[in-house]
Amino acid sequence: MDHLSENLIYVYGVVGTKPHPGDLGKWPFSLYSLHGQGTHAIVQKVSAQEFREESLKKRLTDMTWVEERVRRHEGILEDVMQKTSVVPFKFPAIFENEENVIKFLSQQKEEFKRMIRYLQGKEEWGLKVYCDLEKLRESLEGDDPRIRKIDSEMADAGKGRAFFLRKKKIDLVTNIMDEEIAAYTKDSFERLSRFCVESRINKILPRELTRKFGDMVLNAAFLVKKKRIGGFFQILEYLKSKYTAKGISFDVTGPWPAYNFCSIDPLNNHAGKDS
Amino acid sequence: MTTAKNIEKELWGSREMTLLETLDRVLDKGVVISGDVVISLANVDLIYLGLKLMLSSVETMERLRGGALTGPEQEPA
Repeated sequence: MDHLSENLIYVYGVVGTKPHPGDLGKWPFSLYSLHGQGTHAIVQKVSAQEFREESLKKRLTDMTWVEERVRRHEGILEDVMQKTSVVPFKFPAIFENEENVIKFLSQQKEEFKRMIRYLQGKEEWGLKVYCDLEKLRESLEGDDPRIRKIDSEMADAGKGRAFFLRKKKIDLVTNIMDEEIAAYTKDSFERLSRFCVESRINKILPRELTRKFGDMVLNAAFLVKKKRIGGFFQILEYLKSKYTAKGISFDVTGPWPAYNFCSIDPLNNHAGKDS
Repeated sequence: MTTAKNIEKELWGSREMTLLETLDRVLDKGVVISGDVVISLANVDLIYLGLKLMLSSVETMERLRGGALTGPEQEPA
């Protein structure tokens, strides 16, 4: 066999029970599982040509390639998730051979078993909160007593003082908006967190990617018990009713495989929950 | 990509999971492996660098936002 037909092993995730062939969904390539002391890795043979370090680095700058592979990664995990609790791997997780995958599963068996048990009956939901700053400003200028006070002072003021007050008002409005946004996001995150098993706050995404929706003010993930998902949506309804008039909007996605709630530390083998 | 399954979920989770949402998870979260069993590790920074280079292309940005995706709570203008 020449070098180009050499295979590596790509791991999508780990499950606790051996999947039936039908569980892995319909894909135009062969997905199978490898067993290592009580857990099973969902794997695919991939070409070394594509996934060896040097060529992988190049591929990762090719958006079309990344998009296809990433959609596949997610799609397969979503299929598996329908049937059983799955610990998703980051993209891409590449092993030299099947033996190494099995070795890895065995080394990490306690961590994976614990994680699979923990994720059973739960799913991840994502929340991105946006603020339409203009709408918020308008709402505050209409309501906030501190701003109305300055407005009435400006109405009575002479030219010089009015100029000074206008500047003061701009600063005041900015500060109030910051305070309000912080209060809304804190309230939203806390109400949802209290209801969930686990939650985390992630980085706000770059403006260039989200400008269409307004300013992103919160990027969070929640691990919810499947049977309690109705309650989760009720809280979202409540938050929507409370904050829409302030220019706040809630973008909810899910259910996701539990990417945000399954970090294990293979090197140190910590048993701690992710933050 | 799947859409949410039941009616209640459709009120909230029916929008297509955009590529951006997927990238946000798949590249940055999930189990990370390292050590001598691993042949290679993706350099996530490389991907974001590639993304930034692509951002100058409006077409890519639209693709990342999922094209037909409507705003979180509003219908498209």
